[in-house]
Amino acid sequence: MAVDTPFKDLIPPLELDYEKEMKRWKHLFQVLNEPEPKIGDTPRTEVWRKNKSVLWHYPAKQKKYGIPLFFVYSLFNKPYILDIAPKASVIEGLTNRGYDVYLLDWGTPGYEDKNIGLDTYIEKYLRTAVKRAIRHSGADEITIVGYCLGGTIAAIYASIAEEPIKNLIVATVPIDFTKYVGPDKWAEGFRNGDINVDRLIDVYGNLPSTYVEAMFRAVSAPIYFSNYTTLLNRAHDARYVDKWRRMNKWTTDQVPFAGEAFRQLANNLFKDNKLAKGELMIGSKHADLKNIKSNLFVISSSNDNLVLEPQSLPIMNLVSSKDKTYKLVEAGHVSLALTGLFAVVVDEWASTRSNPL
Amino acid sequence: MSTNRQHDPYDSFKKYSEIWEKQINDFLFLLSNNNEFVKMSKVGTDVHSRYIEAFKKNQEALAGVLNIPTKNDLANVTSLTIQTEEKIDSLEEQIWVIQDSLKSQSKDIESVVEVSKEIIKLTKQLKTELVKTKKELADSKNLQSELQEIKFELNKLTNLKEDIEILKDHIKNDHQKEPVLTSAGSPK
Repeated sequence: MAVDTPFKDLIPPLELDYEKEMKRWKHLFQVLNEPEPKIGDTPRTEVWRKNKSVLWHYPAKQKKYGIPLFFVYSLFNKPYILDIAPKASVIEGLTNRGYDVYLLDWGTPGYEDKNIGLDTYIEKYLRTAVKRAIRHSGADEITIVGYCLGGTIAAIYASIAEEPIKNLIVATVPIDFTKYVGPDKWAEGFRNGDINVDRLIDVYGNLPSTYVEAMFRAVSAPIYFSNYTTLLNRAHDARYVDKWRRMNKWTTDQVPFAGEAFRQLANNLFKDNKLAKGELMIGSKHADLKNIKSNLFVISSSNDNLVLEPQSLPIMNLVSSKDKTYKLVEAGHVSLALTGLFAVVVDEWASTRSNPL
Repeated sequence: MSTNRQHDPYDSFKKYSEIWEKQINDFLFLLSNNNEFVKMSKVGTDVHSRYIEAFKKNQEALAGVLNIPTKNDLANVTSLTIQTEEKIDSLEEQIWVIQDSLKSQSKDIESVVEVSKEIIKLTKQLKTELVKTKKELADSKNLQSELQEIKFELNKLTNLKEDIEILKDHIKNDHQKEPVLTSAGSPK
């Protein structure tokens, strides 16, 4: 005989669906035991390789535009987020829409790459890759698409480029480094010399990937476990589990940062804000954003917890482009690429500026 | 309270975990967002750097004694590979330049050949025209001589006509005299 407790009405009955529970725990078991998913389904061919960097070509399904898209991704992460899963892939979305897409994968720097600076990356890797892409595509001009720090690199390159850049697209791009998501005192300490990365880089050569991950964790959310509880909550949904596994693989797959490049990023961009001030030098060239005359499209994400909108906005007034567009989309820093929304946004703007065939 | 509402423990766990996560992170943010923390972290990184530096120095010394290569030695070798790659790249780019100039030269040659072909065609046409013209000239010469002959004949005919006219006149005159001669038995 059941005994009535005084709390009977306070605690609602448990929802127990055995089928759902079986699925949930089966999927969780798979997450723990099965190998990581294979990522990168869009067909591609290698165009050029230097050191660890590779230039990939993703041919259009049915070519509709004369000007190809050239993707520059961040140096902090691997670029396969742009081709994370079928139907959600940014690159697949763009090739389906008729664009020839090129992607420069920077690769994973080793100890021997500790002397590669931003200038080397831009002058000897990016420039050569763009030249190769133009030659390979047979096009007269090219569209450069930069994401996150890749956007900053793309903007710096566009300001000193001799190659014919028709359009420049930058998304969630940090340009003005005076604004920053982390604690203000850290930034203050960094700017007045209390935090100095030089010595750490000297002893390590490159910034190890664990440090890169720790750095991002520290400025966004040092304690992070809600992703696991969300997985537990939605583990009965196979599609969600697959998406989670792909995302989790990418998030934990950090790359080391080439030492000299990190030194330049920390000192020239973060500490002295030389790019926004127009004082940045790349080799012997003055990388002034004023030199950019290509059509410009800037995309910011409203829920970005890493690159704030005020960090991207100043580029609009710093360039000399006549055709410039700014768009704020309802997305997060990573979800813009993760959901494939980026392809839609890029296509909307670039379709009329890419010489439709 | 209604008893129809069902309770999903996973959902509640998720919600609470998000709240805890945010609260812990906010707390850490407050705890670390001060100059003391920054200075302490500087001391920490300096000590760590010194330790790694000393460790590496010893490692290099030991590797030297054991005669085994270190990461630095490998890095030096790799830099040679990268230099070679760069040289190959620059050679490839020079080949592009040569290819491009050859392409433009072959295009020029093609256009010259095209023009030459046109000239040859034109010359041939002109030759044919010349032969035709020569033939026509000969024909016209023949025609001219024939015309001369016709003209001569015409002159002759004109003379003949004149002679005939004269003859006619004579005949006419003779006709006028004849009735006198034929009126037989008339007084004279």
